[in-house]
Amino acid sequence: MDPGYYSDPPLLVLASLASGPKHGHAMLEDIERLCGTRLGPGALYGAIARLEQQGWIAPLPAKERRHPYRITGDGLRVLRAKLTRLHEFSKAGLKRLEAR
Amino acid sequence: MNRGTMKRGLAHLLTRLYPRRWRERYGEEFEDFLLEGRGDLKAWMDVVRAAVGEHIHPTLQAIEQGGMMSEVRTTSFGTVVRQPSALVPMAMALTALAVVMGHIAIYGAAREADEGATAHIWQLLMVAQLPALLVFGIRWLPKAPRQALGVLALLAVAILAAMAPVFIFHL
Repeated sequence: MDPGYYSDPPLLVLASLASGPKHGHAMLEDIERLCGTRLGPGALYGAIARLEQQGWIAPLPAKERRHPYRITGDGLRVLRAKLTRLHEFSKAGLKRLEAR
Repeated sequence: MNRGTMKRGLAHLLTRLYPRRWRERYGEEFEDFLLEGRGDLKAWMDVVRAAVGEHIHPTLQAIEQGGMMSEVRTTSFGTVVRQPSALVPMAMALTALAVVMGHIAIYGAAREADEGATAHIWQLLMVAQLPALLVFGIRWLPKAPRQALGVLALLAVAILAAMAPVFIFHL
């Protein structure tokens, strides 16, 4: 049975940028490698817009018509908090499965 | 299905689906991004869905303040529609509709000589919405006019739906 894929575009973008600044297509490929999810262009840019408005990512100067972004300090803190919570949740869930 | 890159005309058209404010910030780079990406139907549909979502829950809203444009977080349609002053009249209109439909289901659509309890309840519900609508309009039209008008349009549909059976069946 295919368990499906995880899709929370803003979180995926933050996780991708945690390893260094990237432009859109590099983010898409990195995210696909990370979790098997291929975001659509609308979903990606929706996430980029929201993250930038919240101050969690920031644009860098464009290079050859490619527009890279970097994660900010606030973005790193938010990412760490979200992933920690997810980690606790997955640990608890797996523990329950083992108990069955 | 074409899995090649997107054509320039299509990328431009898809970008134009977004609200103006959004395009002012991201339009050019989004178009460049689309040109390098997949030109398949799945990509088109994803952009259309995201553009519609951006109209309903805008990310950006520029507010003119003393001649300077500053971008602030916007109040979304979702936030406005969940306000009690919007939910209460909506609930009342839907309850009025349920009351009259229930009456028709149990007693039929024949017009009665005297107004019964159902009619009184329906009338009360329809009238009682008005103060809540007024409060909603006074509070939200200045603050978020586009979103408030959308909510008012939704409320108008609910009210018309509640009135429809009364007029259709001449109750």
